[in-house]
Amino acid sequence: MIGIIANPSSGKDIRRLVANATCFDNMEKVNIIQRILIAFHKLSDARILVMDDAYGMLEKAAENIRRLTHESVNAGLIPFRPVFDQTDSTKAARMLRELGAKCIIVIGGDGTNRVVAKACGDVPLIPLSTGTNNVFPYMMEGTVAGLAALVAETDDGGEMLKTRRCKRLNIYKNGDLADIALIDVCATSDMFAASRAVWNVESIRELFVTVAKPDSIGMSAIGGSFRTIREHEPLGLYIRCGEPAAFATNVAIGPGLIRPVGIKYSRTMAIGDRISLETGAGMLALDGEREVEFLPKDRIEIELTRDGPLVVDIPATLSCAADRGFFLIHNTPQGETKGGICIHDSDE
Amino acid sequence: MREITMAEAIREALDEEIARNPEVVVLGEDVGLFGGCFGVTAGLYEKYPNNVLDTMIAETGILGLSLGAAYAGMKPVPELMFSDFLTVCADYVVNQASKNRYMTGMQTGGQSAAMVVRCPNGAGVRAAAQHSQCMEGFVLNAPGLKIACPSTPYDAKGLLKYAIRGNDPVIFFEHKMLYGVKGPVPDPGEDYVVPFASADIKRVGTDVTVVATQAMVHKALSAAAKLEEEGISVEVVDPRSLKPLDKNTIFGSLRKTGRLVVVNEAYRTGNALNEVVTLCAEECFDALRGPVVRVTGPDTPIPFSPVLEDMWIVQESDIIKGVLKALDA
Amino acid sequence: MTLTNNDLRKLLEDMIYIRTFEDRLRINFAAGAIPGFVHLGIGQEAIMAGICFNLQDDDTIGASHREHGVLLCRGIGGDKLMAELYGKRTGICKGKGGSMHAGDLEKSTLGCNGILGSAQTIINGFSFAHKFRKDGKLAVTVFGDGASNRGEFHEGLNFASIWNLPTIYFICNNGYAISVPKSKQNKVDDLSARGAAYGVPGIQIDGNDIFAVLEATEEAFKRARAGGGPTLIEAKTYRWRGHFEGDPDIYRDQEEKDFWMAKCPIRRFEKYLLDHEVMTQAEIDGIWKSASDRVDGHQKFAEESPWPDRDDLLRDVYYCDEGSVQA
Repeated sequence: MIGIIANPSSGKDIRRLVANATCFDNMEKVNIIQRILIAFHKLSDARILVMDDAYGMLEKAAENIRRLTHESVNAGLIPFRPVFDQTDSTKAARMLRELGAKCIIVIGGDGTNRVVAKACGDVPLIPLSTGTNNVFPYMMEGTVAGLAALVAETDDGGEMLKTRRCKRLNIYKNGDLADIALIDVCATSDMFAASRAVWNVESIRELFVTVAKPDSIGMSAIGGSFRTIREHEPLGLYIRCGEPAAFATNVAIGPGLIRPVGIKYSRTMAIGDRISLETGAGMLALDGEREVEFLPKDRIEIELTRDGPLVVDIPATLSCAADRGFFLIHNTPQGETKGGICIHDSDE
Repeated sequence: MREITMAEAIREALDEEIARNPEVVVLGEDVGLFGGCFGVTAGLYEKYPNNVLDTMIAETGILGLSLGAAYAGMKPVPELMFSDFLTVCADYVVNQASKNRYMTGMQTGGQSAAMVVRCPNGAGVRAAAQHSQCMEGFVLNAPGLKIACPSTPYDAKGLLKYAIRGNDPVIFFEHKMLYGVKGPVPDPGEDYVVPFASADIKRVGTDVTVVATQAMVHKALSAAAKLEEEGISVEVVDPRSLKPLDKNTIFGSLRKTGRLVVVNEAYRTGNALNEVVTLCAEECFDALRGPVVRVTGPDTPIPFSPVLEDMWIVQESDIIKGVLKALDA
Repeated sequence: MTLTNNDLRKLLEDMIYIRTFEDRLRINFAAGAIPGFVHLGIGQEAIMAGICFNLQDDDTIGASHREHGVLLCRGIGGDKLMAELYGKRTGICKGKGGSMHAGDLEKSTLGCNGILGSAQTIINGFSFAHKFRKDGKLAVTVFGDGASNRGEFHEGLNFASIWNLPTIYFICNNGYAISVPKSKQNKVDDLSARGAAYGVPGIQIDGNDIFAVLEATEEAFKRARAGGGPTLIEAKTYRWRGHFEGDPDIYRDQEEKDFWMAKCPIRRFEKYLLDHEVMTQAEIDGIWKSASDRVDGHQKFAEESPWPDRDDLLRDVYYCDEGSVQA
């Protein structure tokens, strides 16, 4: 069994207005789910469980498939009553893990993957990008993701499935683990969550990133504008922003939005490093969304760990699978199967 | 005085009113660069590029926007390409514009809902059922609306200027067969208006009162000329506005002649001039020496084939028959 | 976005005033004092207070049947609004409009339009006038998910887009058009996505979070004033009462209502103010008391006002009532 968690709220926030973000509407997500279901259904009878959401995306995808192919797919809803906020994704991930899912396809942005990572344990993720700032998920076609999930589902010995372990930031509030982030934690001077997205660079005080990439947008790009840290490196980056700046950089802070950011101070973090926040009060934005508020009386610490989720390396997984004959149709009348490669006689 | 066509007269009215009030805006499909599908607004866009606006096909959007601009104190003059399309945006005419002043209790403060909707009326161009109607009957019912139906260039220019300067919503019916008809109009620079509720006696007579509108006025006048040769003296009364209606002029004529024939191109049932008949029956009954005669289009949609359309449209001969019938009783 | 403590206080006062006014209508309607229909906006206060907070005086706003709160925030006057709902002569519309047509153009506030959907093109006339006059103002139209299915919404959005008008389309998506849930209204019930079809940025916000409403409207208004054109905002919210007072509301289950009532915009905001020590519980209680007293005053005014008379029946049809208005 595999799971799909699709966030109906991704790709619609205020960055469509304050930046030039594309609107990622839910019919497009239905389409992605549809493609995953079709790919899976074509090659396997295994069950697919999908998170319930206020838009009925599974129902719509299944209905579309029924109309096109007159077939029903072995897909259903993860059995819990949703409350239609982000806690649904966490609960869905927990249930999928408990029910023994072999992998979870996550359709959303950094934020969606973050809340899934809170509860997915070691169930590998296939994160498909449909959010705004997508540093964590892939831009990958749904059909291909479905095939990768299929490999995860059937690969009992772990021969074909290739994964990597992600980094994670832990947020401690007054000594207790309050929350996590996969890419960035940003301390802003905002006093409320409101639209949640962060686009106003003047409000950024401190920043912690697990990856720093100039080929991304958002908080990770702030670090990436002067230093590159990739996923596989056992490092993170800590930055203090504002005036007086030691230097300033141009950063792609959002889609079509380039802003100058003043960097006061920065240093790398090693796995296990735990840094105390200096900012007195404000909001912590986790993976691009304002989430945790803190007041002067709160003590906030951020720790870099290797305790992030497992993520499927799709190209490596599918190549490995192909090499092992995963896609071959094995009851062909002609041809010998040798080491997974089917060799036909030249006069056929 | 000079002879100009009705289209030219209407264009002059728009031109003069924009010059007088820079918040007069003309908007509609093809009114700008193209000059209007009947050529009425030709040249206005070049003269007033900010005041003449081309729109996409969206009658509801056009009238809605015009209404909002009117509420805001501008003076929009939207054009509907054919009066038939009034049904497409009827809500704005019947439920919004006509009622807004009353529902919001506003009185003289500001120009509430004062937009002037221009639309070409009438049959004769073989445009068939959905592009050939006379639509006054459809909107007559709405309280708060004003309706103009000029038949000559002089009347058209004067009524339009009056409407644009006024403070109430107006449906301004132009007749597409009359756009090319010439008539005397004062020279530009001689400002004049024709107020509503001022019917015009287009021909003085003594034997029968013919109340006619738009293209029917011209046919009534030619019928009257023919009947004159038979010794019948026809008085032709052109109401010029249907709402408010100048009933006094009509009553005056009826008291003189005692016979009433109403001539309107539209369908028989619900015809706008049925209101004239009713008013005469209610308030001027004693003057009637015989039953009223209605000369109208039949209760069928307007056909395409030229042969059929010519049967459909009220002709001069129908008016002559109507007059004779009224005199016969 | 910076908000002072006074701003925060004002916002709470506005939200509590709206809630108190609407709740009084509920009581008085049940007692038979209010004729016709009322549609209460209880539960949607953050939207009304938030939008109005960011509007300038000469901006235009058109509200819908559920937003008496907008009329109050724009200074129409609670006395005159209550009197209008009672049908009295002292009402904003002299008792001739009622809840479904109340408005005051002098305060650049259009009330409800009784034909749902029609306001979505009319609003463009105001933004067109603002643009024509170059006065730097904008126009907002507030409506529900139901009205967004009218063709007018689409024509309006298209017009605003191609003419680059300063119009803000604000959808209060409470998930129901009277009894028809959004799952039966649209296949693509993602209303913010409709903007994309017209090249208008569409965003979705939590309509019960006053800060989200403030932030979204601040950005949209800034953009409109700067000549950036229209915006579509979809705010997710919920109405606590039925569509109209007297609606048995059997088409929504209690669990759903409880879920949303727990997300009350006022309670959330009060908690924030207390946590951030902007106000004390005593001060908050004081605001509820003042609102109640204020609404008492409106009710008294309405009850004691005279009814309209026969002259009022025939007046206000035309500009100066020339022409035959028959009795």
